[in-house]
Amino acid sequence: MAAVVVLFAAATAGAGSLPYVEFSDEHLYFGRIVWLGTCENCHGYGVADAPIPMKPNEWRHRVSKQREILYDHAINGFFGPDDSYMPERGGNTALSDAEVKAAVDYMVELAKFYIDETGEEK
Amino acid sequence: MKLLSKSLVTLGVMATLGGLSVAVAADVGSTPSITPKAMADALHLVMDSDRAVYTKKIVNRLVKKEKVIKASEHFEDDKALVLPAQMFRFGSELAAKRAADMPDVNFNYSLQSMWPVNKQNAPKTEAEKAGLKFVAENKGENYYAEETLGGKKYFTAIYADTAVAPVCVSCHNDHKDSPKRDFKLGDVMGGVVIRIPL
Repeated sequence: MAAVVVLFAAATAGAGSLPYVEFSDEHLYFGRIVWLGTCENCHGYGVADAPIPMKPNEWRHRVSKQREILYDHAINGFFGPDDSYMPERGGNTALSDAEVKAAVDYMVELAKFYIDETGEEK
Repeated sequence: MKLLSKSLVTLGVMATLGGLSVAVAADVGSTPSITPKAMADALHLVMDSDRAVYTKKIVNRLVKKEKVIKASEHFEDDKALVLPAQMFRFGSELAAKRAADMPDVNFNYSLQSMWPVNKQNAPKTEAEKAGLKFVAENKGENYYAEETLGGKKYFTAIYADTAVAPVCVSCHNDHKDSPKRDFKLGDVMGGVVIRIPL
């Protein structure tokens, strides 16, 4: 698991104003910036059924998926089983594949943090 | 029994698409069994759920997934589906029209914005202005206030209206009359204002 270096980052999560964990890994640090710039707007609050990484129950089954599947959903878009819709690149078509993948990697680590470290809904 | 039934008043407020209803039953002259806040929250829950279902099961499925029809602001000319925000607005207009014939049903709701495409949807009262600003700056939170208008006291609740689909963003950002053109997916674009007389 990536090391956690800062628990009280500038941005706060929608669910209970939690801080978004910052990891020391350079790739995840970059991914967090991308995530805050695009993904957080929905995934931080559950907008349009976007799964919230601070809620372990919404991510337990997702973190076990092959990472390539998550990349594919994030890059190309995805329809959920009840026709919820994740637009390609989170609606920010200016993002490169590498940026989207970094954001996915950060979100997975963020979800794992709450699953591993807290094990409960926040 | 007849007396008892006469002493009960039921306010039935029919919601829009799904035909769900929220009812308040109270003994005449006694305290209502639901608070204005709970009533507003319940109304918004129905409105928001209906709109989410329309967005997902109609627009997302037919436009994005099956690609059999488009959704357009100019739905008549384009032979297209109405946009989710238009569906909501049409519902509020129909509810207001139907409520006019129901003396016991005295509430209204509307979709407003600090950045309206149509200026008539801008906030007018102080509570509307403060509430729309609050929900935009405090994502995930609602705004509640009491206000007096025309000598009558009202409970006013305001809930964030969020850009839940790319079409919300593109429509507002590209619209010639839009005063704000840098919306992103997930941004608060305005608010649902529910007003209940006290």
